[in-house]
Amino acid sequence: MLGKGEKRKFDEHEDGLEGKIVSPSDGPSKVSYTLQRQTIFNISLMKLYNHRPLTEPSLQKTVLINNMLRRIQEELKQEGSLRPVLAAAASPPPDSLSASYREAPAVLSAPAPPPPALASDLGSTTPLEACLTPASLLEDDNDAPFCTSPAAPPAAPARLPAPAPPPEKDSFSSALDEIEELCPTSTSPGAAAAAPDTSRGGSGAPSVPRPDDPKLMDSLPGNFEITTSTGFLTDLTLDDILFADIDTSMYDFDPCTSAAGTASKMAPVSADDLLKTLAPYSSQPVAPSQPFKMDLTELDHIMEVLVGS
Amino acid sequence: PPSCWLFCSPLLPSPLTPALSPHRCHPPPSALSTPPSPGEGGEFRKQRPRGTQQGHHLQRNMAGAGGGNDIQWCFSQVKGAVDDDVAEADIISTVEFNHSGELLATGDKGGRVVIFQQEQENKIQSHSRGEYNVYSTFQSHEPEFDYLKSLEIEEKINKIRWLPQKNAAQFLLSTNDKTIKLWKISERDKRPEGYNLKEEDGRYRDPTTVTTLRVPVFRPMDLMVEASPRRIFANAHTYHINSISINSDYETYLSADDLRINLWHLEITDRSFNIVDIKPANMEELTEVITAAEFHPNSCNTFVYSSSKGTIRLCDMRASALCDRHSKLFEEPEDPSNRSFFSEIISSISDVKFSHSGRYMMTRDYLSVKIWDLNMENRPVETYQVHEYLRSKLCSLYENDCIFDKFECCWNGSDSVVMTGSYNNFFRMFDRNTKRDITLEASRENNKPRTVLKPRKVCASGKRKKDEISVDSLDFNKKILHTAWHPKENIIAVATTNNLYIFQDKV
Repeated sequence: MLGKGEKRKFDEHEDGLEGKIVSPSDGPSKVSYTLQRQTIFNISLMKLYNHRPLTEPSLQKTVLINNMLRRIQEELKQEGSLRPVLAAAASPPPDSLSASYREAPAVLSAPAPPPPALASDLGSTTPLEACLTPASLLEDDNDAPFCTSPAAPPAAPARLPAPAPPPEKDSFSSALDEIEELCPTSTSPGAAAAAPDTSRGGSGAPSVPRPDDPKLMDSLPGNFEITTSTGFLTDLTLDDILFADIDTSMYDFDPCTSAAGTASKMAPVSADDLLKTLAPYSSQPVAPSQPFKMDLTELDHIMEVLVGS
Repeated sequence: PPSCWLFCSPLLPSPLTPALSPHRCHPPPSALSTPPSPGEGGEFRKQRPRGTQQGHHLQRNMAGAGGGNDIQWCFSQVKGAVDDDVAEADIISTVEFNHSGELLATGDKGGRVVIFQQEQENKIQSHSRGEYNVYSTFQSHEPEFDYLKSLEIEEKINKIRWLPQKNAAQFLLSTNDKTIKLWKISERDKRPEGYNLKEEDGRYRDPTTVTTLRVPVFRPMDLMVEASPRRIFANAHTYHINSISINSDYETYLSADDLRINLWHLEITDRSFNIVDIKPANMEELTEVITAAEFHPNSCNTFVYSSSKGTIRLCDMRASALCDRHSKLFEEPEDPSNRSFFSEIISSISDVKFSHSGRYMMTRDYLSVKIWDLNMENRPVETYQVHEYLRSKLCSLYENDCIFDKFECCWNGSDSVVMTGSYNNFFRMFDRNTKRDITLEASRENNKPRTVLKPRKVCASGKRKKDEISVDSLDFNKKILHTAWHPKENIIAVATTNNLYIFQDKV
């Protein structure tokens, strides 16, 4: 770390990271490149997750970090391409990247899970519906754009928009099931498993952190070098996700995605916006033009159960 | 007479007091306006010789930073607290000279604006230029709380822009993240005396005690400078305002946030026109934000805005109401040999400034300053490396967030030299004609007036020569983000974290 003008010792590790800017194709330096990439990935995640500001986080910073994560994910995907990249994609606690995206606007965007950043990069047009994920309860996590879809191995350039489970399904129960399937003995949060998700093919990733389950790694062809992420991600437990403050901003929608308009904008926030922002505080969902991706009453019920237990 | 410090006048119940909106006139003292010697609290009236308000300024030789006409920069003044313990509210967030250069405004994180005025040049002592002393200080913005999002809205002043002077009063726009305000700064050096129904101190007299009538007259008084908010432009920005820019028609101005740019009329506060909107329909698709915007100095229909991806778009408002399609796109192709994980982040443009001539514009990204010819879109005409030695440290700078620092840049009056800040309280100047550059330090160590600043040098690697500073010794908490150059003379204002330095060329 760079300090306050004090001389610091030569840091080998850091020099190893910083001294070389290598390309992935560079054989002997590939390890250091990978190490550097992973470190940057971890740093980026930490930046997004650990920041609990009193004021709104800078949108520019958030976007840049997000792009960094996306780029790394894409690289990992293209390289590894045999294993869902999501092993490294942790689910953010509620004040996540996407939450801050959604916090930034007074009127927030629809909580649609992201079109897969990679898929769009790869040129496929995944319909929005396919972005729904089984763990849609933890939807603020799903919105993290860097969550890639668990594409079927080998990395197919086009993603099959497999039909997503209908939103009405008890998504949380299924998520829990998947967690148990994946890591019956693991204490770390196994998210909706890669395997079942692969079959769904949806792009929205399970947002719960997925550690590199050794069983999974072996079961998939090819090796994936995200070894350092395991230690990092297992620190996050399911509790962090479930008991942290739920970011209710996902319930808000952006009413005016229409052209910002030749017409002048009225200065005050419209009543429409207010209504939608207040939606989470009412038990019945306000009926906006766009469908909810989340069942509010179910969420309430589940929270009661969890808190009560 | 010793210079005294000036504060807003209190609200006296007088019919002649201009109507002031209920804003605090007694802000917590900004360290910039605190005199170095322990002063008294409360308000002071400035002792000031009567005479013309406007100083005259000789047109100095606008020599550059290097070359034959080597300019030698000397320390002139420093404002602000001495101790290292920086009060957060005192962190300077913007610095701006007015159009004549006589006034220098600073904004800070505590929402205060402090305006310095250059003393009339002492004709006898012609070897020194007028000093800048506190002229007015006021609380521009207050912290607010957004109840819907449970987040604070910072009162930090992001930008100040002066309007050109049309009458005796001065006007400036100041903005925080959400609200822009038009402030009128006016002087009062006369006051009415001799009321019939009021005592001199304002108390009303019992009408029955009035036996004679007299006509109130204006009598001179100690100069008082008042700041009053004249317009408040609010509720038009969902995201954080990063730029304001006054149009050359002096009637309209633009304000830019992360995703939108709005056009305002200075007289109309309840309406603004959206002229740029880059918000995607789905926020998750957002990959680029607006980082700065500015009107062309001469063409009132032209403006530019920069992005976090290193592009600048020039837009013509005549083309369409919503300028989502640029007229020109300025972007330099990436240098493949310098490619790294951080390429995008360091390409993010933190500031864009037109030259005074309007022919060029300058952009500042993390490591360099680029000059663009408006007629050439595919690459800049000049590129200056500010601190290339940081390129190998980008990972650490990413970790400690320094890579997101937003450095500003500025032109000198003749567009021959550009200046920008760096770390360790260094700032850099680049002479466009001689291609020479210089690194100077803003520090209290060179405290004597007319001390010529010694050029500094950072040693990137290898053996460190004497007087050089190694990269690892740089203090990354001491950053100079805001600098300003007098529009006509070789006087510069350089803001460190909480101090304002004024340097002049050696006379």
